[in-house]
Amino acid sequence: MNDSLAKRQAQRRFDFRLRGVVGVWLRHYTAFKAGWMVEMTGILLEPAFILAAVALGIGKLVGELENDNNEISYAVFVTPGIVVGNAMWHSLFECSWGAFRRLQTNRIYDSILAAPVSMRELVMGEIGWGATRALMTTIAVLAFAAITGLVESPWAIGIVLIGILTGLMFGGFGLMAAAIAPSTHMLTLVFTMVGTPLFFFSGTFFPISTLPTWMQPVAWALPLTHPVRIARGFATGDLYLSLLWSLLYIVVATAIFFPLATRLLRRRLLV
Amino acid sequence: MVRASALVKKFGDFPAVNGISFKVRSGETFGMLGPNGAGKTSTLRMISGLSPVTSGELEIDGIDATTNPRSVRDVIGVVSQHDGLDPDISVRDNLTVYGFYFGLDRDMANRRAAEVLSFFGLKSRGDDSVDDLSGGMRRRLTIARAFVSRPRLVVLDEPTTGLDPSSRNRVWEQLAVLKNSGVTVLMSTHYMEEAAILCDRLVIMDEGRILASGTPDQLIQDSAGAEVAQVRPEDGQRDSVHRQLRDSGYEIAEIGAIFTVRGLNGMKADLSGIKGARISYRAANLEDVFLSLTGKGLQDE
Repeated sequence: MNDSLAKRQAQRRFDFRLRGVVGVWLRHYTAFKAGWMVEMTGILLEPAFILAAVALGIGKLVGELENDNNEISYAVFVTPGIVVGNAMWHSLFECSWGAFRRLQTNRIYDSILAAPVSMRELVMGEIGWGATRALMTTIAVLAFAAITGLVESPWAIGIVLIGILTGLMFGGFGLMAAAIAPSTHMLTLVFTMVGTPLFFFSGTFFPISTLPTWMQPVAWALPLTHPVRIARGFATGDLYLSLLWSLLYIVVATAIFFPLATRLLRRRLLV
Repeated sequence: MVRASALVKKFGDFPAVNGISFKVRSGETFGMLGPNGAGKTSTLRMISGLSPVTSGELEIDGIDATTNPRSVRDVIGVVSQHDGLDPDISVRDNLTVYGFYFGLDRDMANRRAAEVLSFFGLKSRGDDSVDDLSGGMRRRLTIARAFVSRPRLVVLDEPTTGLDPSSRNRVWEQLAVLKNSGVTVLMSTHYMEEAAILCDRLVIMDEGRILASGTPDQLIQDSAGAEVAQVRPEDGQRDSVHRQLRDSGYEIAEIGAIFTVRGLNGMKADLSGIKGARISYRAANLEDVFLSLTGKGLQDE
C-alpha cells in the first residue's frame, strides 16, 4: 500500500505548463519595472565604468597582446570578457541572493508553489529571469562598447546569444547555491569563492596562457572561461571550430545545474 | 469536498499525521482544532499539494491529491501561516501576479485584483508596499490573494495567529462573510474561540490523531457538559481544595491558579460542599473539551 503510493507518485506523468514559467517571469518583470531606474545603474553604468577604466585606462598601458595567434589591442581583448563577466554577475546574483530572499526571507516560493506552479516551472522562471537580466546587461554594455569603438566585428552581435547562455548556466548554479544555503551569510561565499575568482581568472582580463602552467588546466575547467572564449571569437570575428567544445561545455553544465537545482529545492521546500 | 482516509504523514520515522480520516462537505466551514504539533499544518500542506502524502487516501473535489497535487491547487486557495507576501511589488501587484500563476491573462488578473481588494477593504492601499501594512492588513491581503483564482475550497492555516484582538475580529468578520458566500473553508486553529465562532463542524487533533469530531455544540455537550465550575482557592488553601475536589469524583484540571471542574454526564457539578474557595460557573467551551480529551490545555507547549 505504502510502496504502491510512492510508486504512483513517482510515476506521475510529465506535466508541464508554460504559463507557470511565464507567471514566475512576469512576477520578476513586475518587480523590475517598479525599480527600473535603480536597476539600470547596475545593468549599464557599473559595467560601463569598469569597461571604460580597463579598456581606456589600463589598456593604454598594455597595448597589443597575443590572442590565439592574433595580435589584438587590449581594449578589444578585454571587452567581451567584461560583457560576459557581467552577464554572469547579474544572473548569479539574481538566482542566488535574490532567490534566497524569495525562498527563505520572504517565503515567496511557498506562495508560488501553493498556486498551480510546479517546482520545475518555478526553477525555469527563476533561471529564465536570471538569463533575462544577463541579456539586458549584455545588450546595454555591448551597445556602450560598440559606440565607443571597442568591438571590431559585426559578428559581435552573437555575444548577445552568449550572454543569454551565460545567464542560464550561472542562473542554474546560483539557484543550486540558494537551495542549499542555510543563511545569507553562507551565501556570500558564492560571490567571494566563486564569482570573484571566475571573473578574474577565466581569461577575462588576460589570456589563460599568461598563467603558470599548472594553473592553466584549472582555468580551462572554469565555467566562465568558455562563454568568454566564444564571445571573444564573436568580438574579433575570429570564429574557429574548437569553440564548439566551449559551447558544448555550457550546454552540458546548464543541463546538469537545472535539474539539480530543481531537485535541491524540492528537497528543501516540498517535504 | 475533502475526503481523507487513514491519511499518514511521516518525517523520517516520526508520524506527524498518524492515520486520520475526515470529510469536509461542500459549502461548510470545517475546523481542525489542536495545539502546536498536533499535525494540523502537515495535514493542510498535504491537502494543498505542498507535501507528499506518505500513505492513505486523500481526495479533493474529486481529484486524487496523493498523485495529482497540481490539479488540486487549480481549485483551492491557500493561506499559510507565513503570509509569503511579495515585498518587491505593490499590494495590488501581489494580487495581479498571483493571478498570473493561475494562468489568468492581464485583464482578468487586474479585474480580479480590483475585486478582491475592495472586498477585503484594502482598496485604498493598492499602491502601497506590503511592508507598510499592519499585521492584520497583511493577513487580509493573504486571504484576499487566495481568492483571486475563485477557488472552490479555501485552506487557512491558523488565520489569526499572531494578530491583536481587533485585527482578529476583523479577519473573523471577513471569514464569516465568505462563509455565507458559499465557499468551502477548511481551517486550522489553536484558538477554541475561533473554532466555536466560525466552524460548522470540526475535529479536535492532538499528536497526529483525531480525538473527536462534530459540531462545536455537540462536542461540548458530549465531552464537557453544559457548564463547568471554576474554583479559585483562597490564599493558602490550594492543597486542601485540591484534595476536596479530587475526592468529589469530578473531572478536574488545574490551569494557573484555578481549578476547572467538569460535571459528570453533562450534569452541573455540585460543589456546595467545597470549603476555602470561590466557585463560579460558566458555559463549557471547546478548551474544556480538549482538556477532557487530553488532560492538557490547547496553549500548552
